[in-house]
Amino acid sequence: MFTALFLFFLWRPISLGTTTGLFTALKHAFRRPVTLQYPTEQPVLAPRFMAHPVLTWDFEVDEPYCTGCLICMKICPTDVITVSMKDNEKFASEDSKRRKIVDDFKLDVADCIMCGLCVDYCNFDAIVMSDHFDASVDNRSNLVHDLQTLLDEGKGQQEKGRWSPPATKKSQRRSAAQAKVSKPSSSEEAKESTSEENEIETD
Amino acid sequence: MNISDYISIFAIVFVMFNGILGSVLVVIYGERKVLARLQQRIGPSRTGPWGILQTLADAVKLVLKEDIRPQNSDRIIFYLAPLIIFTPIFMLWVVLPFGSGLVLGDIDLGLFYVSALLGLSVVGMVAAGWSSNSKYAMLGSARSAAQLISYELPLILSILSVGLFAQLFTDNPFNLSSIVNAQAGLPFIFVMPLAFVLFLIGGLAETARIPFDIPHADEEIVGGAFVEYSGIRWGAFQLSEYTGLITMAFLASILFLGGWSGPFSDKFVWLQPFYISSKTAFIILLAFWIRAPLPRLRIDQLMAFAWKAIIPISFANFILVSLVVFIGDRISLPIFQIQLILGLLNLISMIALAYLLTSRRKRRLAVYRERWGEK
Amino acid sequence: METKATVIRDENSETAELRINMGPQHPATHGVFRMVLTLDGERVVTVEPHIGYLHRGSEKLTEGENFQQITTLFDRLDYISNFNNEWVYVRTVERAMEVEIPERAEFIRIILGELNRIASHFLFYGTYGLDIGAMNPVMIGFRERERIQALFEGVSGARMMHNYFRVGGVKEDLPDGFVPAINALLEHLKKGYEDAKNILTESEIFIERTAGIGALDAERTLDYGVTGPVLRAAGVDYDIRKADPYSMYSDLDFSVPLGSHGDCYDRYMVRMLEIEQSIKIIEQCIRRLPDGPIQGKVSRILRPPEGDFFVHGENPRGDLGVYLVSTGGTVRPYRLKIRGPSFSNLMALSSMMEGAYLADSTVILGSLDIVLGEVDR
Repeated sequence: MFTALFLFFLWRPISLGTTTGLFTALKHAFRRPVTLQYPTEQPVLAPRFMAHPVLTWDFEVDEPYCTGCLICMKICPTDVITVSMKDNEKFASEDSKRRKIVDDFKLDVADCIMCGLCVDYCNFDAIVMSDHFDASVDNRSNLVHDLQTLLDEGKGQQEKGRWSPPATKKSQRRSAAQAKVSKPSSSEEAKESTSEENEIETD
Repeated sequence: MNISDYISIFAIVFVMFNGILGSVLVVIYGERKVLARLQQRIGPSRTGPWGILQTLADAVKLVLKEDIRPQNSDRIIFYLAPLIIFTPIFMLWVVLPFGSGLVLGDIDLGLFYVSALLGLSVVGMVAAGWSSNSKYAMLGSARSAAQLISYELPLILSILSVGLFAQLFTDNPFNLSSIVNAQAGLPFIFVMPLAFVLFLIGGLAETARIPFDIPHADEEIVGGAFVEYSGIRWGAFQLSEYTGLITMAFLASILFLGGWSGPFSDKFVWLQPFYISSKTAFIILLAFWIRAPLPRLRIDQLMAFAWKAIIPISFANFILVSLVVFIGDRISLPIFQIQLILGLLNLISMIALAYLLTSRRKRRLAVYRERWGEK
Repeated sequence: METKATVIRDENSETAELRINMGPQHPATHGVFRMVLTLDGERVVTVEPHIGYLHRGSEKLTEGENFQQITTLFDRLDYISNFNNEWVYVRTVERAMEVEIPERAEFIRIILGELNRIASHFLFYGTYGLDIGAMNPVMIGFRERERIQALFEGVSGARMMHNYFRVGGVKEDLPDGFVPAINALLEHLKKGYEDAKNILTESEIFIERTAGIGALDAERTLDYGVTGPVLRAAGVDYDIRKADPYSMYSDLDFSVPLGSHGDCYDRYMVRMLEIEQSIKIIEQCIRRLPDGPIQGKVSRILRPPEGDFFVHGENPRGDLGVYLVSTGGTVRPYRLKIRGPSFSNLMALSSMMEGAYLADSTVILGSLDIVLGEVDR
């Protein structure tokens, strides 16, 4: 009886201000926790998630897509990419259409800021941003990825379906471009633009 | 005293000490879990099943940590300060009864002993802050001195009003066991809820918990008096803080919630410790709940709250209780009627106070309403 | 509400002022800010702010980067409101090159920018609660911000360093299922906003701690060049979205919450009400989101013409301005000056803090909602 009386008279005073906060906190206790128990519970990554860039593999010709054109090296804001190119042996034997091919590719993940500019600017769709977000290693030198590691990681990404081959991508892009702008799609301008792209940092 | 007496004393002290240490571990774990749930988190979950070994692991870490003493600090006082805080709170447990007869020293002036020892921890805080030769620690110890002394008054006044009221039931009103026995019929919380609320506020402030955690104030003075301590000494401070919390809750359950008494507690003695510890746990949970969403007061607001609101109310409550007991005793009313009268008076005064506070709160809220309007 | 303490002092006793060093390793300085406080008891006598612990030379670095690469630097300026930073920068280059931006891209930018404003204000809510000692707000603030960031990750691929806005538009079109996702998100945000409001807005202790603290009147805010919620809390109706409308803001229906006293409580309220307004803006944008291209006609190499260009935009923290000097024909700026809101707001710190209590110092600093990444640049 006392308690009922007490609550009846005190309800108005206590249903104000600070006490609202107290009851809000109490309400939270009956909700499901939002914690993600990270190592045991892996986060669901968005399809566009960007970790460091990796290189893709052309399974048809059995060689990397990358021709070593250096555009990623030029566009990279933090200069973490080092590329060199060589003549493609498969081109001589007419197995491949690529005249040049990547010789060496070094990526220093320690300095990579995962901005995705290299993927944007690659003309051959040879780079894809991986979903390898837990990049911690014991030794800093292990963060410098060489060509083989990057290609292996890229194959993993391709298997996961985080990257589609350039043929489909390019046709998509073309159709999208046609839908977008009424741009005169002359081959001359296309050539111009590629030549422009390639001399991106000439000043 | 022969050797077996010494051994038994040693064994009892050993069991008590370790029991308190263990309960501190449980309370810290409970605080982390409860706070986490109040914030939609999980809390410790990795060490052991449901993370129950987390506090133990933390304690082991603290023990193994390097013990650092700042340069130019006062070495002796610096090393003594944790002990000065630590000891009186443990000494309190000598008189606290877990069940009828289940107490180390059932002294007649138990309430005085308790209130005397409660006041001692401030010495340790000041010693810690002064000796560590750090400005943050100094500020923290000055703050805690001011706060602990201010809130001692309402605490002791509400303890004394319990003692006064217990006079009606026993010849030994300051003995904690007889206070519990006096509550076999009706726990004192129903008779004097005002004193209970005052005791809770005073207890929260004494143990420096939010919203009264100004001595620590992690966002301003980063831990206050213990800022320079590390390792096991810091752990000792932490231990005494949480022991203080448990002690306060235990005292509250003895003084107001009827201690070990409960249904069937007379028949089954083993129920008594269970009752008292669950009552203690309830009070501790209340403190955790209050901690979650409330901000901290500023030092001047805290002092104003103590000296302008809480202390006058405690004096009024003390006078009210003594008048009722005195007059009721003189005209030899039955105890039940005294209880009823006191309870009703308390209730009326609490409602009056609440409405008084509400009008004050409304004035405060007017700041919000006038500026931003009802949307 | 103004508390005037009467200091009772024994004339014969000697007192000294206490100089304490707060930061750069201090939990309440929001990063690596350092201030040296001179205290008289618990009262602050003087404040000396020290900045520069996070100086990375962003402005100088831009002179060595292409116009495409500079977006990445702007992401890292004010790392709580990345989209808004990128937006001001790309608008600068767009103005220089006179690029037309398709409408869909504009709406995408507004949606993301306003979401980022909500995220930033929720973070403010959380940290501000923590500055005052409450623990629940930080969990609520971060919970809601986390939801927004998950959406950002779906759109741009990164939670914070998006690099998503491009000169002329945005990098990619919105992912599939964006509209249902953002509608669900807005529902969550409204609920979270209610939770947030219930815990602090009407709490007496909170009002007690913030109302009347660190007040700056309209005149002094203008003198100090304070912008953003801190300025609007003082009652000055200046929001760049209204005063100098950019993008599609002139077509959208929203109001600018204004305070009257210019104290910490008003700053908090302005930010909380801006969350409501931002939700309103986003709802309008989703309704009006057109189909179409997301990238205007821009060559892949950016060479703005010669000249000086200044563009500013309303960031969660205030007025972010970018001043670009281009020599024409080059792919890099000659000079790029950033006018950061946090930096300018911080200038008013000492005039707000003097005479306040030590405990108020963190409350005042928190109410400015500075981000050291942009103060130190």
